[in-house]
Amino acid sequence: MSLQNIMENWSNYRRGAEEGGHHKYEHRWGMAINLDLCIGCNACSTACYAENNLAVVGKSRFAKGQAMHWLRVERYWDESQNKSSSVTPDYPEEGASFLPMMCQQCNSATCEPVCPVAATYHTPDGLNAQVYNRCIGSRYCSNNCPYRNRYFNFFSYYESSWPEPLNLQLNPDLTVRDKGVMEKCTFCVQRIRAAKDKAKMADRKVQDGEFTTACAQACPTGAIVFGDRLDETSKVAKLWQQHEVKLGVYKQHKQNPEKRGYRIFEELNVDPSVMYLERVRDTGI
Amino acid sequence: MSKNYRIKALFSDFDEAFGALSDIRHSKIPGISIDDVKLASPIEHPEIEEVLGDRTVHIPKLTLAGATFGVVFGFLFLASAQASFLVQPQGGKPVIPLPSNFVLVYEMLIFFGVWTTFFSFLFLSGLFRKRSNLYSEKVSLDQIGVIIEVNEQQRDPLKDLFKKHQSLEIREEEIR
Amino acid sequence: MIEKDIDEQIKWAKINADVLRSMENPRRAYWITFFICIAMMACAVTAEIYQYNTGMGVTNLNNPHMWDMYIASFVFWIGMSHSGTLLSAILHIIHADWRKPIYRFAEAMTTFSLMTAGFFPMIHLGRVWNLYWVLPYVSDRGAWPNFRSPLVWDAFAISTYLSASMLFLFIGMIPDLAICRDNARGWRRKLYTVLSLGWIGSDRQWRNFRKTYLLMACFLIPLAVSVHSIVSSDFAMSIMPGWHVTSFPPYFVAGALYSGCAAIITLFVMLRYYFRFEEYMTVAIMEKTAKLTFAIAMVWTYLNLIEFASTWYGHDIYAKELLIAKAVGPYSWIFWTMLFCGMVVPFALAVEKFRRHMPTMFVVSLLLNLSMYFERWMIVAPTLSMSHDPHQWDIMWPSIVQWAIVFGSFGWFGLLFLVFVKVFPSVSMYEVKEMVFHRRRLINEDAAKVYSRRARDRKDATGEPELEGA
Repeated sequence: MSLQNIMENWSNYRRGAEEGGHHKYEHRWGMAINLDLCIGCNACSTACYAENNLAVVGKSRFAKGQAMHWLRVERYWDESQNKSSSVTPDYPEEGASFLPMMCQQCNSATCEPVCPVAATYHTPDGLNAQVYNRCIGSRYCSNNCPYRNRYFNFFSYYESSWPEPLNLQLNPDLTVRDKGVMEKCTFCVQRIRAAKDKAKMADRKVQDGEFTTACAQACPTGAIVFGDRLDETSKVAKLWQQHEVKLGVYKQHKQNPEKRGYRIFEELNVDPSVMYLERVRDTGI
Repeated sequence: MSKNYRIKALFSDFDEAFGALSDIRHSKIPGISIDDVKLASPIEHPEIEEVLGDRTVHIPKLTLAGATFGVVFGFLFLASAQASFLVQPQGGKPVIPLPSNFVLVYEMLIFFGVWTTFFSFLFLSGLFRKRSNLYSEKVSLDQIGVIIEVNEQQRDPLKDLFKKHQSLEIREEEIR
Repeated sequence: MIEKDIDEQIKWAKINADVLRSMENPRRAYWITFFICIAMMACAVTAEIYQYNTGMGVTNLNNPHMWDMYIASFVFWIGMSHSGTLLSAILHIIHADWRKPIYRFAEAMTTFSLMTAGFFPMIHLGRVWNLYWVLPYVSDRGAWPNFRSPLVWDAFAISTYLSASMLFLFIGMIPDLAICRDNARGWRRKLYTVLSLGWIGSDRQWRNFRKTYLLMACFLIPLAVSVHSIVSSDFAMSIMPGWHVTSFPPYFVAGALYSGCAAIITLFVMLRYYFRFEEYMTVAIMEKTAKLTFAIAMVWTYLNLIEFASTWYGHDIYAKELLIAKAVGPYSWIFWTMLFCGMVVPFALAVEKFRRHMPTMFVVSLLLNLSMYFERWMIVAPTLSMSHDPHQWDIMWPSIVQWAIVFGSFGWFGLLFLVFVKVFPSVSMYEVKEMVFHRRRLINEDAAKVYSRRARDRKDATGEPELEGA
């Protein structure tokens, strides 16, 4: 039985990510985020709160760092160059940079192998899934995430976050998580599920642009592009190709500075599925 | 029909017990072999046990068997659990990752080795028996006991031998 | 003059009487400590109930700081458990008989600190009621634990270590339990009759016992080393700067031995006082323990410095930045206290005058363990406060709930230990008997040689030396 299973599939079971792994991927959902278009408006984050039933934790807990935002817009400030300059332009460049940061759905995710109960695993869609029901809250995954993109339910938020009648705004497509469970960006897996079901009913493949994640939908400048990287014709696959960003490597070898694509912390060999396009700056900071 | 007796002599000192035992070993009393002798002592004392002759201990064999079982069972258990839980391919790692399985198999080796050793000790060392009437609490304090089962003819010469070696006390009980 | 580890003229009957007396009437300090421990435990129970009902947030944990004092304490208690069994097993194998009067309480310390350590992963879990999912049991849903996770290795290693060290403690205690059985009355007699398993001290039992004990010791040495290596892989298997360190397994094992030896010294001083064990836990044995602790302290110091050096000269900028932050950042006072107490204070152990002074040794051993606690905390917290993503850098200090639970864990440990030493003989009677027997024999043989040489040389010696029985 299982012994026979091992004997028959031994070499298959011993394949790591370098040889394609055990999975046959149906999709590989990915993103391309153009930082040049990001204006730091936080609409994506807000949309995420609405779509994914994220708890609003309140001021004091937010200050303690217990917030639950799956998508955060990180702000970095460069040293302003205009302080020394005599001419003050109308709109001085203060060097603010925005970085929408959500789970990077790494293909060699560091959070996955450390979970003691396999509550987080890799789906055949190339997603890094979190099974809330299986989670026992050891929080090792969050510690081992270089992006710090996993959020823990430190309290039971149902009562405090959605008092009547706010509970009516909850998205019925997914659960409200209770205390002691780790959660993180899922690339709006409920939307993926719905689109896949719909395509299956119509006996066709999922088409690019048929649906998108809440953050991409809400982005006023269209900085976030979501899609299937296995679909050659999708917008996201084209962007990855255009900027010569490859999956499965820990360093992108490219000479042309016009190709702005990069992945964050890819030198850690986590193989993230989100590509960022570097900002084009006129001030040369 | 001759009666059989179990005789126990207590000595205050290992040297005296040793003397008595070597006399028995050198067949000072016909019909009594050193193999029939049981010794009871308050401390572990390998030197005096040499005079009792070669009495083997079987625990190491069982320990080896237990540890080997731990390795084989451990690996098969882990590998079959992993091969039947295919949700596990994670972090780009194979389904059956040998390095981490080795760590666990190592622990299973020790786990099974330790428990087999313990259980073989329980079953092979004559524990869980009712203490006989001859049991003397002085053995757990500071005296050394020598126990032999003899028949009626051997009884008196043996007692004399013990007395010769200054035994403190001789107890006997009849057995059938 | 060479001081004796133990006065070899002690009568066997006196050994029995002294140890059995220790289980009857300790000093008043024993009871004071006992009630302090209960009070400490009450703090922890209150805090845990509050945390269980409210959620992990009451500990001040936050997004970068998912682990804190609970995990540091877990590593601390596991480390503490290493000395007892490991040293007892090693010293048994190399026939260092001075271990005999002190190994029993050291092994008990191992077992109880493991039982304390085992609580921390549970207390720290978000959903502790699902803890059993970590165990590899056959479930109808076909779900297994993730055998790749160092936390599962922990579960395997700790259950193996706990059972092995409990068995080692128990097997070594069987002959003593038989002594207790022969001398006790009432409920104690019933208890010891069951626990001594019908031990009568026959040659067959002793022979099997000797082999079993040796085999257990042989298993325990690699096991203890592997357990703390596995605990270190909780950190070393991750990719976080300051955790992903190749030298962590030996570093953790050295640290474990270090804190365990320091704890042995602490308990040595306490038991010696509580139970008036001055004749068995002698100054000479204390000196040997202190020397051993000093040697281990130097190993730990070396591994600590080598870790800094490899980070400093390495190319991992995250780790280097973290090292600098440890030395000058907000946690720097902890860092420097740890280095001072861990590297400088042990030199007190090199001074004979201090080694022989019990109150000094008590204070020194507590300082060493303080350093070891800080070491564990410095491994866990700063890495989380300053990992790869600068947006998520944060300084966090543990809340009163964490403090209460950690504080209470010492009470729990103390309580277990104090109950143990009251119910079970904390000095191994049969082995101290062996010790004095063999030493008496050796001394007499040496004396015999000296006498006979004199007899040959001077021809005026008178007879054989006295060969007194037990």
